[in-house]
Amino acid sequence: MHERLSFHMKRNSVIHRLNPLTKLVLILALILISFTSPWYWTPHFVLLLAIIPLSALGGVFPEFFKTATRLILPAASFLFLMQAFFQPIGEDVIFKFYFLDITQESLMFAFRNAMRVFVMVSAFTLFLLTTHPSELMSDLTRRGLPPQFAYVIISTLQILPQMQAKAQTIIAAQRSRGLDTESTFFKRAGSVVPLVGPLVFGSLVEVEERAIAIEARGFTSKHSKTSLHEIPDPSFDKVIRWVLLALVILSIAANLWLA
Amino acid sequence: MLEKIKNNFNTQTWVLIPIAIAINIAIGQIVVLLKLPVYLDSIGTVLVAVLCGPWAGALTGALSNIIWGLAVDPNALPWWPVAFFIGYVAGRMAQWGFFKEWWKVVVTGFAVALTAAIVSTPIAVYLYGGITASGSSFITAYLMQTGTGMVQAVLSTGFLVEPVDKITTAMLAFAIILGLPKRMIGGYPKPEQVEVSGGASKNQMYIAIGVVVLLVLFAAFMLRNILGG
Repeated sequence: MHERLSFHMKRNSVIHRLNPLTKLVLILALILISFTSPWYWTPHFVLLLAIIPLSALGGVFPEFFKTATRLILPAASFLFLMQAFFQPIGEDVIFKFYFLDITQESLMFAFRNAMRVFVMVSAFTLFLLTTHPSELMSDLTRRGLPPQFAYVIISTLQILPQMQAKAQTIIAAQRSRGLDTESTFFKRAGSVVPLVGPLVFGSLVEVEERAIAIEARGFTSKHSKTSLHEIPDPSFDKVIRWVLLALVILSIAANLWLA
Repeated sequence: MLEKIKNNFNTQTWVLIPIAIAINIAIGQIVVLLKLPVYLDSIGTVLVAVLCGPWAGALTGALSNIIWGLAVDPNALPWWPVAFFIGYVAGRMAQWGFFKEWWKVVVTGFAVALTAAIVSTPIAVYLYGGITASGSSFITAYLMQTGTGMVQAVLSTGFLVEPVDKITTAMLAFAIILGLPKRMIGGYPKPEQVEVSGGASKNQMYIAIGVVVLLVLFAAFMLRNILGG
């Protein structure tokens, strides 16, 4: 049995104890505010004053920092460089390199855009670190999400590591039989079929069996199902959600009003 | 409307969707390993769209990007509408009978590519200011430097890059369906959409591949013209 694929870190913190929906609303609100607020420094402050303190409060700062530097920072820096060099805006050239020029405007523009993307991705990372996928799914199902969606998400997270392991096995097996996966372009392109074929056919064979198995467990039953775990949703959480919603509306209104 | 959506989904559809999502991600990673200049990360989406219908395909695409974002690489998350429309258009094309012969599959791939290019443009423009973190952004950046407007630059990059990827995806999905025994297709909602109308011979496949190679060469030629001029 393979480990289920998720970022989730089991801790006992204030953030972990929040209702999953509250956390989802929280990060969506942070993202929307940093994208819509008319004030230039909003995304920077959202990161410094909301996301990083929240990750510390949730006791996941080391993991958050690791993911941020390993996954998000490279993409955001690449984005920053591309935009700083290539946005053809502004007059005030401060740095020139052959035909590439950085103006003050393009630098500011790139910095804000990269920061917005950084906020978006890091907010989701924070959410994933502090929320267990099945907790989120059972809470959303209780609120009316069709249970089939929960099945799809949770079973994908289970199947994915198995599939990746299977892909590694197939690659190793085909290589040992002499399949060329490293030389010229045509050899590499030609090895797509012997790698993809076994993987796909092998997985599609299981579909019918699985369908019968979950059918036998009442998958399509219309009756409401009971849950073993009750996920608490105190009134404190409801207040937080409304406050966040108000902040988002305020930010969008300010954006429209000043535009 | 609701009935039409519902008839895309039976238990086999719900079981196929997670497997298709895993196929998308696993093949996407194999292709990265082979260092090929395509993504091929929507083969599973196209399979679901063709076997179960446009709405099931759209759902698979969207969830695929969301799960990719949640579990593997958070940078994939904002692109879920693109995957949604890839699945939807592939399903519609299959409904109109465009998934029964090789040349029709190429047309489907082309239609999917155009959709992907159009849908990804607003995301690239509004979220990233035109230049995203993917390699093809160098073309966009070049076009913008030479004075092309942001929207046109992003859109033309999409039109240049997407067709190769999406036509290959559609052809691989078709080859997979041809390889499946009939008994395994019968349980899905729309097995009649892939009833091959006698034209799936090897010769047809070679002609289709030839056409695609010509298209690629043409795209490369256009690209050089644009970059050269």
